[in-house]
Amino acid sequence: MAEEAPPLPWKADVQAARRGDPSAFESLVRSVQRPVYGLALRLLQREAEAAEVAQEALLRAYQNLHRYDDSRPFDLWVLAITRNLCLDLLRRRTKVKTEELEPMKEVLPSGDASQEDCAIATQERQSLEEAMATLSAEDREVLALYYVQKRTTKEIAQVMGCAPGTIMARLFRAREKLRKKMTPTEEAPR
Amino acid sequence: MTSQPCPDLELLFTELEAGEGPALDHAAECEACSAVLEEHRLMEQDLYRLADPLPPPTLVASVMARVAAEPVPQRREVWSGVAILLTSLVGGLGYLLMNDQALGHLGTSIASVMVEGPQFVDGVLSGAHALWATAGLAVACFLTFLLLTSLYGLKRLAGGIPTPSEA
Repeated sequence: MAEEAPPLPWKADVQAARRGDPSAFESLVRSVQRPVYGLALRLLQREAEAAEVAQEALLRAYQNLHRYDDSRPFDLWVLAITRNLCLDLLRRRTKVKTEELEPMKEVLPSGDASQEDCAIATQERQSLEEAMATLSAEDREVLALYYVQKRTTKEIAQVMGCAPGTIMARLFRAREKLRKKMTPTEEAPR
Repeated sequence: MTSQPCPDLELLFTELEAGEGPALDHAAECEACSAVLEEHRLMEQDLYRLADPLPPPTLVASVMARVAAEPVPQRREVWSGVAILLTSLVGGLGYLLMNDQALGHLGTSIASVMVEGPQFVDGVLSGAHALWATAGLAVACFLTFLLLTSLYGLKRLAGGIPTPSEA
């Protein structure tokens, strides 16, 4: 897993953005837009909604910049806002059938296709994405944060507002569900 | 093959994260558990290779367009502070005006300050004079230290405040 980031690299931009410097906030937006949009898309599974939520989360971050404790990682704070907005939207989305969802293979293209294609077959990646798409939002988010965004359990706990031990358990359950989806016929009782 | 029963998967994976433990020792000698761990390793390998999708190219521009219409966060903070202060003042005044006993206490306290205040100030001044007369140098050093630390503290606080042109 990735080690702790260098201390407070976002602090200067946050302070400048608080004073109303738009270029400083733009720099912050650029640094977090990909994980923010990525998490929103994993949770919502719809490009248009994910873009909308990512935009709203970044705007709320600006509106609440005076409340942000800049001793904590800025990206985790924005991810927590994004997560809350996504969960609100998912709660409102009660009558949507699974088959109406866009397939993940079209929705989630590789961010770094050339490297990935060398390392893993496209078909396998698609199967994995499709299997992930069938998991619950809770399982998808923990897998996405841990494996895709390479966050530590401590960081994920900050985003999700729970103890790191809880994240370990959730991660285990999500991984097991994914493993069963990937190999449904080979599963033997233990 | 080990004679011990296979451990619970959750325990096995917890020990895998920790890097040691009896379940992991068991797995090293058990074909079934080794196969599970290998399957897990391969799946993790695939999962680690997934990447976040690129956001729409217009995302930053859209956010910045909406940000441009918003007030500066620091001004928002000042206005929040002013609103809290005014609400507290209005609440306090309202309580005083609605409560005869509280108003009476306030009047008595003000009268007491008016009567006893000059005596208190005289006492403090004569005490300061006596202190200066007996240990003038020590007092001067202490006051200088107090002044410098206060100025340093103010300078540090002022570091985060925008200049008028920035605001």
